[in-house]
Amino acid sequence: MGAVIHAHDVRKRYGRSTLALDGLNFDVAAGRIVGLMGPNGAGKTTALKAILGLTPFEGELQVLGRDPRTERDSLMKDVCFIADVAVLPKWLRVDHALDYVAGVHPKFDRQRADDVLSRTDIKRKSKVGELSKGMITQLHLALIMAIDAKLLVLDEPTLGLDLLYRRSFYEALLNDYFDHERTILVTTHQVEEVENLLTDVLFISHGKIVLDSTVDALPSRFSQLVTSSDHVAAARALRPVYEREVFGRHAFVFDISKGGAPTTDELAAWGDVRTPSISDLFVALMNGGNSTGVNSAGVSAGGAR
Amino acid sequence: MNLKVMKTLLWRETWEHRGLIWAPLITAAVIVLTALLSANFTGSVKIDLDGNEQELFAALSTDFSHQRQLFAVWLGALVIPQMLVAMIVLAFYMLDSLYNERKDRSILFWKSMPVSDAETVGSKLATALLLVPLWVWIVSMITSLVVFAIVSLKLGGTPLAPLTTFHPDAWFVLQLTMLQNVLVAALWYAPIAVYLLLMSVYAKRSPFLWAVLPPVLLVIFEEIAFNTSMIAGFISNRLFGFFRELDLNISAGDGTTSASVMQQIARNYEQLGTLDMLATTDLWFGVVAAVIGFFIVVRLRRWRDDA
Repeated sequence: MGAVIHAHDVRKRYGRSTLALDGLNFDVAAGRIVGLMGPNGAGKTTALKAILGLTPFEGELQVLGRDPRTERDSLMKDVCFIADVAVLPKWLRVDHALDYVAGVHPKFDRQRADDVLSRTDIKRKSKVGELSKGMITQLHLALIMAIDAKLLVLDEPTLGLDLLYRRSFYEALLNDYFDHERTILVTTHQVEEVENLLTDVLFISHGKIVLDSTVDALPSRFSQLVTSSDHVAAARALRPVYEREVFGRHAFVFDISKGGAPTTDELAAWGDVRTPSISDLFVALMNGGNSTGVNSAGVSAGGAR
Repeated sequence: MNLKVMKTLLWRETWEHRGLIWAPLITAAVIVLTALLSANFTGSVKIDLDGNEQELFAALSTDFSHQRQLFAVWLGALVIPQMLVAMIVLAFYMLDSLYNERKDRSILFWKSMPVSDAETVGSKLATALLLVPLWVWIVSMITSLVVFAIVSLKLGGTPLAPLTTFHPDAWFVLQLTMLQNVLVAALWYAPIAVYLLLMSVYAKRSPFLWAVLPPVLLVIFEEIAFNTSMIAGFISNRLFGFFRELDLNISAGDGTTSASVMQQIARNYEQLGTLDMLATTDLWFGVVAAVIGFFIVVRLRRWRDDA
């Protein structure tokens, strides 16, 4: 089956000098939960805006087989997005929000939204302006989850929420929404929050994809060695892509997929070896890549997809 | 165009802007209250009665044709304050309509729905040019009955009694004429509505200043540079042209005979309808400008990327 999103050399320039997207290339298959991650200003939101047809760009981009620049109106029947929190207008009443989506969206299941809402403290006659930030997100999620979309795009969906709401947001998404046919693309810079639910990761930095991999393939691509300061020199000789020091212990991240890279056994000689968490990798590829002089673009191989 | 979608979009406008529904009702309440408190007339029909009073109303009491016409004219004039209030409320509505959604970033929610920009902009234009005017029409229709009842009670048995006869046929024809006026006004004011939407979708801040300053500066510039006022004339023609067409004015001062007042009544009755504006190039020139402007507004909303 074809890719849900196919991006080839997608470029976007703001003004004369700022290159927000510098030739994006990636594919997203159906039924995946993809984390698009990058530091602030890396181009995450711009990439999503391009995918959603909210901003013009150059290059080739197909979403569900359609060009978001010219076929946005039909595309939005199959794509849903929560772009940032708190974009529901303050004057909108909860029951009117339901009426509205029911009136304009052919794939909205009102009963389902009603059921989800009745499990919350949200009153039907309240205006959005009277709800807490967490409740607004619950309302928005209830509306979106009742839409039978093929692709759901979430841009920092939990920004500014407390831990309880953040946790229940992703739980609801996984338990009540995701069915292995739908595709979810989520951006966040709070990596640790989503790392357990992702099937794929896309790291973006300076408008370029620097890592494109399934989560399952990560152990065969990256290893983390934790060792004492005695073995620092030996570990460095094996050319890690990142290192850091925590409480006197040194952690090194290695890209073991490259030619000439150390094997797991070679690493094990110097300390504990494990697969780095996505957060560790994120930090490694975003900061470490630059600080240790390793070209971060060097790890953007095709991925094991 | 999907009717269910359009209906939802129009409802949406009334949820956001409750004033569009309330303003005509409040204006109606003020008109009724004025009728209750005063024995004189409201609206812009003004009849200065002096020495001719007896003669005029004696004539009117038997001249049913002119009596019917006067009945229609003064009830029709009651709609004018309603129209003026609605136009002011609608002007602010349109300036807000494509600006607020960017300011509060709710545009990202609206754009997450399968609603095209043309449908969205179209719903706002339809609200301003059809929905609210039709609502004003309905409210005015009921207001005219209430005000007529009040005035009849007050004037019954006075020399002005000829005004208290209800003419159902004339009332019905008047409502149809007013409905025609709603449609003519929609065409006449379409370019102004689109201009306001354009400023609303374009302005980074203060769409009101964006809408008002350019024409004012142009008028001043023309005045200083060429000592002419063509732009001012052009703008005021577009703003008030409809009311010039609907020029209701009856005076019966010293020296006017009842025969001349009768003529004025007949002339005013003719003025109630504005269908002849459809034969002017001005109106259709405006419609063409509005259609072009509409596509520009849709395009700007489609690609505006600063939310």
